[in-house]
Amino acid sequence: MYLVADINVDICAATSCKLCTQYCPEANTILYDDNAGKEKGLKYGSAYVAVDRCKGCAQCVWVCDNMAKHHAITMTMIDQLPKAAITDRITYLDKGTKAIAAPVEVA
Amino acid sequence: MSLDYVKFSPGFDRFMPKEYRDMVNHGPFGKKTTVSQMGSFKEILEEHPMCAGCAMTLFIRLAMISFPNPEDTITVGTAGCGRLAISQAAIPFVYGNYGDQNAVASGLSRGLKLRFGDKPKDVVVMAGDGGMADIGFSMTLHSWFRKERFTTIMLDNEVYGNTGGQESGMTNKGQVLKMAPLGKKFEKMDMVGMAKLAGCAYVATVVPNNPRRVESVIKKAVLIAREVGPTYIQAYTSCNIEYSIPTDKVMEDANSVEGDRYKFEEYITDDAKNYLANRYGYKIYQEKPAAALPKA
Repeated sequence: MYLVADINVDICAATSCKLCTQYCPEANTILYDDNAGKEKGLKYGSAYVAVDRCKGCAQCVWVCDNMAKHHAITMTMIDQLPKAAITDRITYLDKGTKAIAAPVEVA
Repeated sequence: MSLDYVKFSPGFDRFMPKEYRDMVNHGPFGKKTTVSQMGSFKEILEEHPMCAGCAMTLFIRLAMISFPNPEDTITVGTAGCGRLAISQAAIPFVYGNYGDQNAVASGLSRGLKLRFGDKPKDVVVMAGDGGMADIGFSMTLHSWFRKERFTTIMLDNEVYGNTGGQESGMTNKGQVLKMAPLGKKFEKMDMVGMAKLAGCAYVATVVPNNPRRVESVIKKAVLIAREVGPTYIQAYTSCNIEYSIPTDKVMEDANSVEGDRYKFEEYITDDAKNYLANRYGYKIYQEKPAAALPKA
């Protein structure tokens, strides 16, 4: 098992900072869903992690804790995530992206 | 080299991998993409085998997003960590033999000028400190002396990271590394000073802890290299393996190094300023209207 970043939608959708998307060293790993917050009645969208691309470096955790000061990202064992996004289930929209979060099968 | 080079052959789109389909339909080609839109479009860079948390990867990712015309850009690199990621992108990558990346880029940019004339075709060299300051040093400097019009970006991790931690010309004096147990005996090379001396039209030092700054610096460098002259960017991209930086502290290290020896510095010639102001409408370089004379 290994650690991947997990973004708390409730905290993330209350702000619009998007800093983690700019500081992740992996391309197309932290993506942004413009509608994630609206479904929960929150103001903004939320970032989420494509866990199949995450290498677990935790740079986003440092950025969220120390630069953005939102503390929305934690490192979690991949088999303990109830639901997660993977690249195959992500759709790019004209503005933002949309992922179908589902349980991840780990071999 | 046009928008046509990333598209489907008729009838084959549904057989292509998802990443390719996303690139065709939602990639940055032909659009203006910026750092603030990151996470909302398919990036040119794909999955790559570089270490987790590598600051060089982050810089390469930002650089790829910052290219003004990615569909008209060719990257040139050489042996080193950087090429592992630069080659995994949806734009052409030329792999020079160790050290000759600036010589290859010279020929390439001249050839593109002959073939395409005034149409902008950007050549961007991205190589490490070893490939540029040690092994390819003569070719790098000579390309600047010849005023070859392309952008040179040094990914300076201050060590030969790919081969186990030998000192390079860009390592700091006294630095102890795995393959330099007594510490380096000489000063870090002043490549920025040499670039100015050799006649680069634009020289900048950046640290990837400020994505917007990286974006603006790379945009300027690539645009100036189209017509004015050679441009040089030196980026601090720490090696978290050889320098034993915990991956989640990479940005903390970048901040402290920026405060220490990598302060943001920008050198731009008057020709380049005028070019940016007149051709691309850069307001900061436009001549300010003369202040109204005070009433007598």
